[in-house]
This record gives sequence, C-alpha cells and structure tokens, in this order.
Amino acid sequence: MEKNKDKYVSVFRKSFSLDENFDVEALSYQDIPSWDSVGHMSMIADLEEAFDIMLETEDIIDFGSFKKGIEILRKYNVEIE
Amino acid sequence: MNEINSKNIRLWSMLGTSGVFGVAAIDLVESDNDIIVMTSDLTYFSGLERFLKLYPTKYLNVGIAEQNMVGVAAGLSSEHFKPYLTSYSTFITARCTDQIRVNMGYMKQNIKLVGLGGGLAVGILGPTHMGVEDISIVRSIPNIIILSPADGLETYKCLMESRKINLPMYIRLTGQQNNPIVYNEDYDFEIGKNITLLDGNDIVIYSTGTMVSRALEVAKKMAQENISVKVIDVHTIKPIEIASIVENKNYKLIVSIEEHSVIGGLGSAISDILSQYTSHGKLLKLGFDDRFIHAGSYHHLLEEYGLDIKNIEYNIMKNYRESN
Repeated sequence: MEKNKDKYVSVFRKSFSLDENFDVEALSYQDIPSWDSVGHMSMIADLEEAFDIMLETEDIIDFGSFKKGIEILRKYNVEIE
Repeated sequence: MNEINSKNIRLWSMLGTSGVFGVAAIDLVESDNDIIVMTSDLTYFSGLERFLKLYPTKYLNVGIAEQNMVGVAAGLSSEHFKPYLTSYSTFITARCTDQIRVNMGYMKQNIKLVGLGGGLAVGILGPTHMGVEDISIVRSIPNIIILSPADGLETYKCLMESRKINLPMYIRLTGQQNNPIVYNEDYDFEIGKNITLLDGNDIVIYSTGTMVSRALEVAKKMAQENISVKVIDVHTIKPIEIASIVENKNYKLIVSIEEHSVIGGLGSAISDILSQYTSHGKLLKLGFDDRFIHAGSYHHLLEEYGLDIKNIEYNIMKNYRESN
C-alpha cells in the first residue's frame, strides 16, 4: 500500500505537473506558475480524492506550502511521516 | 476542454462561479478563435489570472469603464469577434443599461455579459456593489438571453453552451467560493429547458442560482413532515420555459426563490405567465423586498433578508398552511 508521504508528494507532482527531480518539499503558494489560485484548488481537490477527506474553507486558504499542508492534514487524521 | 468528473465538480465548487468563469474562459478561447475576454478591472475576481498569462492577446482590460467596455465589445462583435465581458453584476447591467439596450438588444450584437457577485455575494462591499436588480433590468430589454446557473458545473455548462448561440446574453453568477454542489455528475443541459430535480405533489418550487441548493434542502426538510415538494432549476430566466410553468400552474402553492429583488426577476417572469390564466395556484415570491440592503457578510445577509434555509422553510410552510 502506498505510504501517505508518497501519496502526498505524488499529488503535488501531478497537480502542478512537476517531474520527479523537482524538490516539492520546499514549495510554497505561487513559487511556480502552476501553483496559482486555480492550481491551488485543483491540488486541494486531488488531495481530497487521494485521502478521502473534505477540507474546511479556512484550511484550504491556510494551505500555503507543502510543509503547512502536512500540519493541516493531521487535523483530518492523515499523518504524513 | 475540461473533463466533467468528480474532481472537477469539487474544484468548481471550491472556486465558486467566478472562478469557474476563469477556468471556462481558457476552454472558450481554445475552442473558438474569435472569442475574446474583456473586463473592467476585475481580472482576479473573475478568476482570470491564469487566462491572462496564457492568452494575453485574447484579453482586454478596459479599466473601470463598464459602459465603454460594452461599446468597444459592440465594435469588436461587428468585426466577427465574440466578446465575453465581466464585471460586478450591477455594474455590467445597471450602469450600462443604454449600451445593453442599443448595442445588444436592438443591434443583437453577439456579446456575452458575465455578471459576477449576483445577489448578496459581495454584500460586504455594500449596496453600491450588490446585484439585486440586474435580472429585472436586463429582462425588460428585448432579444437578450438570461442564464443563472445553480452551481459550478452548471456555470461551466452555461458558458460552454453560450458559445453555440450567436445572440446577446447575460450570464448571472451567484454565490461565493465553496458553493454547494447541486449536480454531482454530468447531466443533460439545454438553454431554455428547466430541470426538475425533485418530483412532488403538494408544492412546486422554481429556484435559480444559489437558491436551487437551498430549495432542495428545504424540500428534504418538508418531506419529513410528509409534504411533497417539486423542485425545479430555472437556469434560463429568459426566455423562460412557458410549458413548465403552465404544466405546474394548478399546484396549490407555487414558490419562486431567487437571490434578487422580488420585482422583475424569476418570480415576476412566472407571474407574467400565470396571470394569463383565470385559475392557478397561489404564487409566493421569495427574494428581496423593495428596499436597499445594507452592507454585511454573505451568509449573515441571507439570514437577515430571509433567504437562509430556516426562513425559506418557515415562509413556505406558513403559506402552505394558509392555502389548505
């Protein structure tokens, strides 16, 4: 079974069309052109599908970086080691 | 083209109807080389940030000059272009009434107006920015189609269908981000054809825009009290589907719900048809009374002005009991 960390990273790669060598862990909102407002919502929708959760509006807005996302997902019982 | 799937339906709900316009705008210009997008200084509120980066030459920001925008669009339209214009719903209608009347209604130029923040969505900006009379204004001008989608998916469908009709149109967008989802899978959509979402025998509700999801919620609550409610999504306010109104005219209680003034909107359009018959059910028009609405947050205003689920249910129940 795919580990949560792998799933999380793969959502970032897929949503923002990034290749395997890209360091997603350092990413923040608007660091790259594909993480704009539409890309942001698209990534959230992918995350919701991957982890079968539904994020609250405040958390969607607060989700400003890869690292912050790990913190937010913990509220939904998704642990990213 | 965007695929219609569960992920995109959720995405469009999160983006809100304005954000969906930004997404659909890319598909629109990619599907038709003559389509261009214009705004009067609302690039980001229209969700057009990505569009601007991808298609800067298909984009024209005229500044805060809505009347000019319609005039320029009329010129472009007469030279084969198909402009989609965005601004706040009240600025793109009330402020531009003469340009809409002459260039769109009379000359039938193929201009699509996209009114953002219809109803109370931008309530925090106060009565100057709220769009509560826009349907009424445009509905009184001949030759203009008026669409009012229920959720993100229907917004996408309205926009994609609109490009197939070479006539002037006003597409009214309501609600904020995280709009409730009415349609959670693909469905048949045709401009001018109402959609019955729920069948029922006691009451019929005609709803439009954000009020469609609320009508469904109210119907569910009333079902618990053994009251059977039919819910209809009126995404096309003009030309309204006359047959649908006539077919349901003998319900004891006919209700219209809209995030708009009760004067001149959906309820009035239904009333115009019912008044041609000597016998029909009582019509309850739920919307805003004839007064200006003070500034406030969206959900607070909906509650204060009677368009939250609790107040809608109360008003319908009260009228239903009186009509029995």
